[in-house]
Amino acid sequence: MRLNVIKLQRLWWTVSIVATIAGFAAMAISYTRFNAPLRPGLDFIGGTRLQLALDCSVAGQCDKPIEVARVRDVLAQQGLEGSTIQVIDGNTLSVRTKELKPEQRNELQNALSKEIGRFDPKTVQIDTVGPTVGRELFSAGLLALVISFVGIAVYLSFRFKLDYAILAIVALFHDVMITAGFFAFLGLTPFAVEADSLFLVALLTITGFSVNDTVVIYDRVRELIAERGGKDSIQNIVDDAVNQTLTRSINTSLTTTLPLIAIFFFGGETLKYFALALIIGFISGAYSSIFIASTTLAWWRSRKGETLAVATPQDTRPANSIDKI
Amino acid sequence: MQKQRSLIALILVLVVAAIVVLIQLPLALGLDLKGGAQLTIQVQPAEGSARITPENLNDVKRVLENRVNGLGVAEPIVQTAGNDKILVQLPGVSDPQQAERVLGGTAKLEFRPQKPGTEAEFDVRRQELALAKAKLQVLLEDKKQQPDEAALAEAKAQLQKTNETILNLFEPVDLTGKNLANAGFGTTSGGDSWQVSVEFDPDGGQKFADLTKSIAGTGRTIGIFLDDELISSPIVSAEYAAQGIAGGRASISGNFTSETARDLAVQLRGGALPFPVAVVENRTVGATLGRDSINRSIIAGLAGLVLVFVFMGVYYRLPGLIANIALAIYALLTLAAYSLIGVTMTLPGIAGFILSIGMAVDANVLIFERTREELRDGQKLYRAVESGFYRAFSSILDSNVTTLIACAALGYFGSGLVRGFAVTLFIGVLISMFTALTCSRTLLLLVVLGFPGVRQKPELFCPNLPASVRS
Repeated sequence: MRLNVIKLQRLWWTVSIVATIAGFAAMAISYTRFNAPLRPGLDFIGGTRLQLALDCSVAGQCDKPIEVARVRDVLAQQGLEGSTIQVIDGNTLSVRTKELKPEQRNELQNALSKEIGRFDPKTVQIDTVGPTVGRELFSAGLLALVISFVGIAVYLSFRFKLDYAILAIVALFHDVMITAGFFAFLGLTPFAVEADSLFLVALLTITGFSVNDTVVIYDRVRELIAERGGKDSIQNIVDDAVNQTLTRSINTSLTTTLPLIAIFFFGGETLKYFALALIIGFISGAYSSIFIASTTLAWWRSRKGETLAVATPQDTRPANSIDKI
Repeated sequence: MQKQRSLIALILVLVVAAIVVLIQLPLALGLDLKGGAQLTIQVQPAEGSARITPENLNDVKRVLENRVNGLGVAEPIVQTAGNDKILVQLPGVSDPQQAERVLGGTAKLEFRPQKPGTEAEFDVRRQELALAKAKLQVLLEDKKQQPDEAALAEAKAQLQKTNETILNLFEPVDLTGKNLANAGFGTTSGGDSWQVSVEFDPDGGQKFADLTKSIAGTGRTIGIFLDDELISSPIVSAEYAAQGIAGGRASISGNFTSETARDLAVQLRGGALPFPVAVVENRTVGATLGRDSINRSIIAGLAGLVLVFVFMGVYYRLPGLIANIALAIYALLTLAAYSLIGVTMTLPGIAGFILSIGMAVDANVLIFERTREELRDGQKLYRAVESGFYRAFSSILDSNVTTLIACAALGYFGSGLVRGFAVTLFIGVLISMFTALTCSRTLLLLVVLGFPGVRQKPELFCPNLPASVRS
C-alpha cells in the first residue's frame, strides 16, 4: 500500500477544515446554551453533585428503577429546581445542584432517602466545588495548555527548524480543536457529556502524543533531505517519509488506543469519557501527522522555494553517524 | 557480548529490587480508589490583615491537624495547598458532614459573668430565646411540606437579635477558648445527658476562679457562649464566694447529644482558628464505589494490554516477544518507582500508567520497523538490529521529550488528580525510554549473538523478506 498524501492534499485539508468548522459550530451552539464552548462540568463552574445508590439488601427496594419525577419533586421542595437528575443502572441516583452547604446537602440527602428509599452509605459520592476553585482549576489548566504549546514549539525549533515547529503546532491545534469540538457536540446530545478537569488532562495528553506522531514523520523528512541533498523535490521526500513511517504510525495508534478502547467499554464510569477524549485525540493526531503536518510542510517549503535548505547544525546528530558505516 | 552480560545482570538486579520494593512498600491508593473524603479548606484573611502569610497558613494547619486527630480517623493527611488553602484527606469517611462541621467551625468559646441588675431582663430574654428557637425548629420541620422562606428568614433574624441582646447582658472578661488546656466530653453525673468538661491553663484557671468568686451567691449567672450564642448559663452557689471555683476545671451542660458534645470537645481541644475558614471543595467517594471503579479499570486496562502483547508477538515475531518481556520489566520498574517516590495511585494515575505502556510500545515499534527496513535493504541481522536502534533513537528522543514537556506543564500548574496523572505519565515515559533502549536492545542482541541459529533466520524478525536479500 502506498499513500499519495501530496496528490490529494486538498482533500485532506478540506476534511480537516470541515471537521474543525463543525467543531466550532458545536462550540458556538454550546456557548449560546451554556455560556461556555463546552458543557461545563462541576469542576469548572462549581456546584454539588450527590451520587447515591439504593441499598439493595432492603427487600424489594431495587425491583423497579428510581423515578425521576419523584426525585424532581423532592428537589423542588428543597428549592433546588433546575438541578440535573440522572438515574444510572436503575438504582443509582446522581443529582447535580448549585453549591450546597453541608447542612443543606444533609437535608437533601435525608429528604431523598425518605422519599426514594434507603441508600447504601458505602456508595455515596459527594463532590462539592466552590465557584472560585472551579475558576482557578480552569485557568490553571488553560495555562498548562498554553505553556506546553510554547515549550513544545521551542524544543522543536531547536531540534528542527522554526517552520517545522510552527506547522507541528498547527497540527496540534487541529487535534485539540477536533477533540474539543467533538465533546462540545456530545454535550449537546442527550448524553450531556460535560468537560471536567479530566477532559483538560486529556487535551494535554493529546498535545504530547500528537506532536509525538508528527515528530516521527518530520524526523524522517529531515533524514531524507539530508540523504538526497538537492536531488529530489520536497513533495517526493514528504511522500516517501510518510510512507516509510506509515506502518509505525498505524501500529502505534493501534497499541495506544487498544487499552483505551478497553477502558472506554469496560472501565469505571469516571474514566469512560476520559478514555473517549484520548481515543478521539489520538486518532485525530495520527490523521493530522500523516495528512496535515506533512502536506503543509511540503507546501510551505516549496512555496518559499527553499526546498532543501536544511543544513542546520543540530541535524548532524551523533546518532545518525552510525548510518554511514 | 561482555557488555550485554553485565547489562543483563543490571536488569536482573533492578527487577529483583523492584519486586522487593513492591512487596515491602505497597502502592498508596488515593481516596478515589479506597474511599474517603477530601476537603479543601480556604483560609480567609481576617478583617484588618490584608492577606494570608505562610506563617498564618501554618497556624491554621496546626489547628486543623489537632481537630482532625480528634475525629479519630486512621491515617488522615493535612497539607497546605497553594497560598491560602489546606487539603484534608480523611480515608474511610463516607459521611463528611461531621468532618465539615468540625473542620470548618470557628468554635469561639467565651465565659462571661452577667452584669449586675440584669436579672429580670435576662429571664425575659431567655424565654424569648427559647421561643425563637422553638419557632425556627417548627418552621424547619414545615419547610419539607411547604417552604416559607420569608418566615424562615424572619425567625433566623429574630433569633440572632435575641442572641445579641443576651450577649450584651454579660460582661466580657477575656476568658475564652484560648485559655483552655484541654477539653473532653462525657455523661453528666446523673448519666442522663451529655456534657463537655474543660480544663483551663493556669492563667485561665485564675480568671475562672475570679469570675466565679465575683458572682457566687448573687443569683447572677455565668454565660457560656459558643460563637456568641448562649449555650449554658449556670448559677454559682454561695459556697464559692470566698475563693471562687479553683482547680481550673469546669463542665458545660447544655442541650448536648453524645455527638454534639464530642464535636464541641474536639473543636475546643483543637483551639480556635485564628482566621475564618470555608470548605470550598469536598470530594467524597464511598468505599465500595472506589473499589468497584479500581477493579473495573484495572481489568479493562489489563485486557487492553493483553491485546497489545498478542499484537506485538504476532506482528513483530521474535522481537515482539522480546519487547513483551521488556514491557513486563517496564511495568514492574514503573510501579516500583511509584512506590519509592510516594506517588499516590488515583484513577487518572492508573490511566497515566496504562497510557505510558502505550508509549513504551511505541519506542519498540519504531525500532523494529527500522530493523525491518535495514533487513529489506540487505543488511545482515546483527547490523540491522544495531542500526535499527541507532536510527530510531532521535525519533524516540524527540517524541518523548515533547510528551515530557506537556507532562511538566501539567504537573506544575495542575493540582490534585491532574498532577497525579502528570507525575505517573512522566515517570512512565522516562522509564520506557530506559527499557526500550536498554532492555529490548540487550535482550535482542543477546539472542542474536548468543544463538547462531537465530542469525540464520532473519524471517524471525521480518516475515516475507524478499529472497534476493536473504543471506
